[in-house]
Amino acid sequence: MAQQQTKEKKKRPTGRGNLDVTFLVLVLLLLTFGLIMLFSASYAYAYYNDNDSFYYIKRQLVFAIAGIVAMIVASHFDYRFWQKLALPVMGVAVVLLIIVLFLPKIAGVHRWIAIGNIITFQPSEIAKFAIVVMFAKMVTGYGEKMKTFRYGIVPFLIVLGIIAGLMMMEPHLSGTVLIATIGVVMMFVGGVDLKWFALGVGVLAAGIVVVVMIPGVIQYAQARLEYWLDPFSDPQGLGFQTIQSLLAIGSGGVMGLGLGNSRQKYLYVPEPQNDFVFSIVCEELGLVGAAIIVILFALLVWRGYVIAIRAQDKFGTMLAVGLTTQVGLQALLNIAVVTNTIPNTGISLPFFSYGGTALMMLLAQMGVILSVSRRAALEKQ
Amino acid sequence: MAFPSTTVQMKKRILALILAISVVGSSIIIGRLFQLQVVQAEDLQKRAARQQMRVTSLSAQRGTIYDRNGEILATSGTVWTVYLSPVDIDSEEERQLIAEGLSEILDVSEEFVLEKSQRNTYYEIIKKKIERPLADEVTEFITENDISCVGLEEDYKRYYPYGTLASTVLGFTGSENQGAYGIEAYYDSVLSGTNGQIVSAKNAWGTDMPFKYEKMYEAQNGNDLVLTIDVNIQRFVDKHLEQAVIEHEVQNKACAIVMDVQTGEILAMSTKPDFDPNSPNTIYDEAVQAQLDAITDEDAYQEALLEAQYEQWRNKAISDPYEPGSVFKIITTSAVLEEKVVGLDNMFTCTGSYESGGVVYHCWKLAGHGTQTFAQTLQNSCNPAFISYGQALGQEKFREYFQAFGLMQTTGIDLPGEAESIYHSDEDFGITELSSSSFGQTFKVTALQLITAVSAAINGGELMQPYVVKQVVDENQNVVSETTPVVKRQVISEETSQTVALLCEGVVSEGSGRNAALPGFRIGGKTGTSEKLGQNDSDWKILSFLGFAPADDPQIAVLVMLDEPKLDDPYGSTIAAPVVKNMMADILPYLGMEPELDVDENTSVEVPYLTDVMLEEAQSQLNDLGLKARIVGEGTSVLKQVPQYGYEIPYGGTVILYTDETELAESVSVPDVLGKTGKQANTAILNAGLNIKIEGDFADNVQTQVTGQSPQPGEQVQPGTVVTVTVEQVSAAPEEESS
Repeated sequence: MAQQQTKEKKKRPTGRGNLDVTFLVLVLLLLTFGLIMLFSASYAYAYYNDNDSFYYIKRQLVFAIAGIVAMIVASHFDYRFWQKLALPVMGVAVVLLIIVLFLPKIAGVHRWIAIGNIITFQPSEIAKFAIVVMFAKMVTGYGEKMKTFRYGIVPFLIVLGIIAGLMMMEPHLSGTVLIATIGVVMMFVGGVDLKWFALGVGVLAAGIVVVVMIPGVIQYAQARLEYWLDPFSDPQGLGFQTIQSLLAIGSGGVMGLGLGNSRQKYLYVPEPQNDFVFSIVCEELGLVGAAIIVILFALLVWRGYVIAIRAQDKFGTMLAVGLTTQVGLQALLNIAVVTNTIPNTGISLPFFSYGGTALMMLLAQMGVILSVSRRAALEKQ
Repeated sequence: MAFPSTTVQMKKRILALILAISVVGSSIIIGRLFQLQVVQAEDLQKRAARQQMRVTSLSAQRGTIYDRNGEILATSGTVWTVYLSPVDIDSEEERQLIAEGLSEILDVSEEFVLEKSQRNTYYEIIKKKIERPLADEVTEFITENDISCVGLEEDYKRYYPYGTLASTVLGFTGSENQGAYGIEAYYDSVLSGTNGQIVSAKNAWGTDMPFKYEKMYEAQNGNDLVLTIDVNIQRFVDKHLEQAVIEHEVQNKACAIVMDVQTGEILAMSTKPDFDPNSPNTIYDEAVQAQLDAITDEDAYQEALLEAQYEQWRNKAISDPYEPGSVFKIITTSAVLEEKVVGLDNMFTCTGSYESGGVVYHCWKLAGHGTQTFAQTLQNSCNPAFISYGQALGQEKFREYFQAFGLMQTTGIDLPGEAESIYHSDEDFGITELSSSSFGQTFKVTALQLITAVSAAINGGELMQPYVVKQVVDENQNVVSETTPVVKRQVISEETSQTVALLCEGVVSEGSGRNAALPGFRIGGKTGTSEKLGQNDSDWKILSFLGFAPADDPQIAVLVMLDEPKLDDPYGSTIAAPVVKNMMADILPYLGMEPELDVDENTSVEVPYLTDVMLEEAQSQLNDLGLKARIVGEGTSVLKQVPQYGYEIPYGGTVILYTDETELAESVSVPDVLGKTGKQANTAILNAGLNIKIEGDFADNVQTQVTGQSPQPGEQVQPGTVVTVTVEQVSAAPEEESS
């Protein structure tokens, strides 16, 4: 193989082409930011609850290192093999989703599988990856037939239906919505006729009407809606988490209180190391810091999609689209929740929220995208 | 496996995704962040600070109130507030333990503590203002049982060491240490100081942050007050007033004021019955409490209780205007003499009634006083004479003086609750109103207004601003401000004032004020008997007496007012005057005024024969003669008397009456008065509990010197024994007194 130039930088020549440095730099930047902010946000919570301020960062660091290794490995692993592995991965995901239903509840739901005392993971994380790989394979296989209902819609809905059905049994609504959205986005890119999307919106609307007819749903929805629109109406109850998050964000102002200086992390924002870590980012780094992070995510998404566009083949494109969409959507929804732009759901912030196995998987998936970028570079030659 | 290429459509759709997520999505997010962190930032920051900041109040110590001699009248002591932090209760056992322990120590019900312990808060007050012994018990209970959710906070409580003394003047403080009444209320801002604060950051558990974030604003302690009130004078006044209230069954309270006529300082101000400011809410009048207890309806009870409390806190001397009656004749006298419309040489014939403006006024002496000099009209308190003086003065002048003597507006004393006077309006002030006003009827002024006006009439003509606070002193004893006497205006000339004072002396020495006469002192005064305005049919009257001393150079004035005493034929001269006399008898010597005994034959009294006489009869005989009785023993009749029958002792001397076999254990050493002046000898011998008889030849008002005495100095004699001293006139000009 001949030496070749990338737009970004001259890289050492390899048989598999150079990986996309911009994407890699964005990943590492977000990871660094994420680790620092996790430490800052979890410090007080860990101090009071675990008597060890370093409790969360220690564990997250270990997984981050493992994740980087996984990312490197994945980036060297020819992504095209995933096409062959799609069915087995899907099988594993389904089996795990079934197993988890029979394991004891953790935090009231069947969502985690614990291996020993240290590692816990969510089968839904595997399922997300399985859907991406599976859909990529299907889009690649169906080709022009994607325009038809029989190939473009039915098989996808069946696969999605199985996964979503199992996840709803955990129950895990937000994860289900996320997976479904990723799936729909992949179908969209895969070439499904736009009229089906119009129809889908119609069906969705009808579905909502049907659901609302169920007794009690209106009241429930109304209550959720009310505290979303005015969280201060119920400061001790449903609105508590949201209020504390907003207070943290507002406290940050333009320039922030300075790294480590959050006051809201002192037990006001519940579990600030998890879903609401971004509120502490806003408090400590201000509008400036928060906007920089939002922009970093936006750039990551842009770069991920650029890699998808430049991919050597359809499967690579679909893989990159699915994985990028996953990161982008999660970040978008998480921050929207934290800022109370949309009602509260349970979606974590990639690179920032505490969760070792999730971080490791995320980095491994970034490795897959990088692997796609290598072949794209090769193609361009 | 096939690897088909990415289609153009795919690439287009991916571009749409970039637009949707990277551009639109992130823009919305940044817009929202801008809204929260810039637009709403201030509001959110305030809300955050509210929950993150713990503000601990540091109580400022309330200033102390001293009397003019530095005696503490009101002070603040440290007390403690016991609080519970219910969210920190660890277990049901602990909850139970706390409820039992605290209810036992603090005398609160267990249910009360349990109820508080169920609340979802960090701070519930269990009991306020507990004192040291209890606080120590609570501390011990906390430590022994290792309880962290119960705590003690320092606070202050107000103490009034003299109890009821001057309570209506001092007032009291409320539960938050705020001045609620009297001086405490009027000078609240001076006394209270500024509370400090500790602002510290707290976490959501309510405990302090692991880092130090604290700002302290020191408490600024309140300033102290030094009053013009003299504890001792107040005590004399309280004692005699209280006695009078009991003795004469006064229905509607009584009040008294002692004023320094030269400065306007209030030396004592008393209302009886009153209350103990240490526990101001307790009803001290048993009859009133019984009436309250009879009320069954809770709301009605509370209303009645509140009313009763206000009634008992009332400072009658400044809050209850009344018709001054004949005491006001001093003012009429001042006005007519100043205007020279009636001269001292004027003669007036009282026939028992006087017709003016178609109304016939009766003199209190229905038979009439006959022809009197000007001085006699005042001594006799002859209403017809004063109606004629009023006529001579005319409406306009009368009102002018009424206003000038400060009777149309409040005195502006530094006490809350001063009432306005009530008087005829300009248009309504006709001949009839002038007539009745001339002798002090048909208008109302407060006791304070009256004594202030009379003070102006006798002190040289200056209307003074009365006041009770002499100095404001900070906690380091630096004087912050000092009240200086304020002359509001010159009302009458000094000469007129002098004349008025001497005329008033005549009232006491020869007229209706005889009962206020105090041997050895030159006392002026005027009685007052007032119908109650609007209640003319009623037999109830207000009896008053205003006395001052010395008449030739007035220093203090004393006004006593008894509202509705129970008697068949009540006149101020028989009831109120002796009260003032008794007060003067204590106050004047206390102020260092020595009795100037006229050493002439007339003032000596022959001791009557009292042996075997019933005790009450003996006392009354001595009283009539102007002598004092000292009773020894428990018997009912006199067994023995010292001095013996027939001895001549000065007016005001003491006769010891032994009523049973108990001999007076003590004997007295005769003081050495040789070489002293007559006055000094007199004081020394009286102070030793002995009587004096002065012999010698000398003119009035000259310096005398003792040249001989019997018994000799140092001899042990029984109390009451007569010591005979021989005096001679010192030819030289009055020497400076030497000890």
